[in-house]
Amino acid sequence: MLETLSLMGAGFLNALTPINLLMMAAGVAMGIIIGCMPGLSAAMGVALMLPMTFTMKPETGLIVLGAIYCGAIFGGSISAILIHTPGTPASAATAIEGYQMTLRGQAGKALFTACYASFWGGLLSCVSLYFFSPLLAKLTLKFMSAEYFWLSIFGLTIIAGVSSKSIVKGLMSGALGLLISTIGLDPITGVKRFMPSSYFAEGINTTCALIGLFSMSQVFILAEKKIKARAQATKFSDKMSLSREERKILRPTIVRSWIIGNLIGILPGAGASIACFLGYNTSRQFSKHKEMFGKGSIEGVAGSEAANNAVTGGSLIPTLTLGIPGESVTAVLMGGLVIQGLTPGPELFGKYAPMTYTFFAGFVLVQFFMLGIGLIGCRGFAQISRLSDAILIPCVTVLCFVGSYAIHKNIMDIVVMLSFGVLGYLMRKLDLNTAAVVLALILGPIGEKGLRNALRTSRGSISVLFSSVVCWVLIALCIFGILSPIFMNKLEKKAEADAAENAGGMDELEKLTEEDSV
Amino acid sequence: MKMKKTDIGVVVFMYIVCGYFYYHMTKLKASSQTYPRFTIILLFGLTTLYLIQMIVAAKKHGVESGVDEVFKDFQAAQFFVCLIAAILYLVCIYFFGFYISTVLFMAVVLLYLKVPPLYSAITVVVIVALIYFAFQRFLGVKLPVGTVMKALGK
Repeated sequence: MLETLSLMGAGFLNALTPINLLMMAAGVAMGIIIGCMPGLSAAMGVALMLPMTFTMKPETGLIVLGAIYCGAIFGGSISAILIHTPGTPASAATAIEGYQMTLRGQAGKALFTACYASFWGGLLSCVSLYFFSPLLAKLTLKFMSAEYFWLSIFGLTIIAGVSSKSIVKGLMSGALGLLISTIGLDPITGVKRFMPSSYFAEGINTTCALIGLFSMSQVFILAEKKIKARAQATKFSDKMSLSREERKILRPTIVRSWIIGNLIGILPGAGASIACFLGYNTSRQFSKHKEMFGKGSIEGVAGSEAANNAVTGGSLIPTLTLGIPGESVTAVLMGGLVIQGLTPGPELFGKYAPMTYTFFAGFVLVQFFMLGIGLIGCRGFAQISRLSDAILIPCVTVLCFVGSYAIHKNIMDIVVMLSFGVLGYLMRKLDLNTAAVVLALILGPIGEKGLRNALRTSRGSISVLFSSVVCWVLIALCIFGILSPIFMNKLEKKAEADAAENAGGMDELEKLTEEDSV
Repeated sequence: MKMKKTDIGVVVFMYIVCGYFYYHMTKLKASSQTYPRFTIILLFGLTTLYLIQMIVAAKKHGVESGVDEVFKDFQAAQFFVCLIAAILYLVCIYFFGFYISTVLFMAVVLLYLKVPPLYSAITVVVIVALIYFAFQRFLGVKLPVGTVMKALGK
């Protein structure tokens, strides 16, 4: 206990260095900009900024990525409130009440509520991050080679199933990623496998693949659509604040949404877009002012925003402890972790505990930066959110190119990134799952080592894969992973349908959620 | 739900990938075949399962093209100009280096997408400055100079 407390204290001291504070501010600002632009997503932003973190210390790099993640989730609410277009799907529910408040001349209040609720949602989610992560990481100490194999399969079933329209297509995407991960030298015998040139000796560069699948593919998605002028951001003059009474009203809403968002975040496969609707609906159910819903309720805005930001801390728990990211953003974040040479699991809370606790402390501080920068910069960010796709297309392309080149200073990396960009575009058009491919590229080598080491110790007998209780638990979880989309889809549809009642019908809601996202 | 013809392409692509990897896998040592074989079987099995689902859907609900849905509002000229410009940008970087290629690429794409010249110029300056300060100065990344520029420099 004392050791943990001293690690937490040391983490805060490390996180408070000027460079870390500067990076937090820059990351949050960048995240808010990315989040508030409809068409750009949190995953895309984190992928795009990943190469910039390579030369940084691991903890600083992770803090930057965490800051972009939190900033982007909050940033989506700015355009949702002011131009009625959620920057990310996680703010779709915020647009319902937020824009109504804007129409009533309360845009300042709506933005303050979103910022205030996001801050508390994110901050409270850090509590569970601190509390549950070490406990869950200890569990993985019992894992042997066979268990690691099943863990990688479980991770894939979860993300492939939940993020796809068709479960089989999602699993196919995961299997395709696993196959691509075998390109390169055999990790055990050193034999060349499926290598068109020696460049691929170390396998496919995961970062280039990430940038291609998430960011470059988005450029192609933007390029295929007619360029439209964005709606004018509403100018507002009302005060950005809440009265003491209003804050008192919001308190229970924020706590409820925190619990919802955190649980949704911890549950692998469910993301911020589900959490925001559940948070919104629950706030309505418990509200004493139900008549305000659909007309601009601060509780509705707070319910949605606290829930989607509470997902951030929650979703880091399975990512850091089990290596199972629950959604696209955390899959990219995990890529950043692996690229820094770190493996999710007990090591992060043992050998690398100082780094991990510095990241956690940074994640706490990021929430304060989000509150400050969000409140001060709202008006400016609202104008940026109107940036045309015509400007975004070449800018993001250049950043994708320079980002993938910066990793090894090799032009071939740009070729790989561009190829994955085209592949990602086609996959998204054909309802295949790019997040599953990325995760498979990360988990593939872990699964391969697990499988082959297990078979080597058992002299080729497959029974070793079914030899322990943990293996059977993981197999059961894999089955749950495959079946969970049925449950999740029902949950999401129900939450959306409930929210639609307040939004004035399904058409209105569909209009809000139709923005494509990674 | 109806079967989409576009999904035939997905199935064919997956089978081709399986075939390609299987062909190269047979040339590997037996010990190196274990994991690739597992992933090929997995992908082949899932693709076949999807094919069966498609056939069942076709029998029950019929067949639809799917092209209209996939390429709804598709701006072909704009898309291909951006794609080809990105490929040419890559080629240009190799020959002329990063900065010249970036300015050219951005100027061409921005003007093609009808961004007013003043905004285009501002965007190019901002992006080039951002890359110079963030990547070259802050991160110390040496950006490509280009073979032609290198030769001229000598």
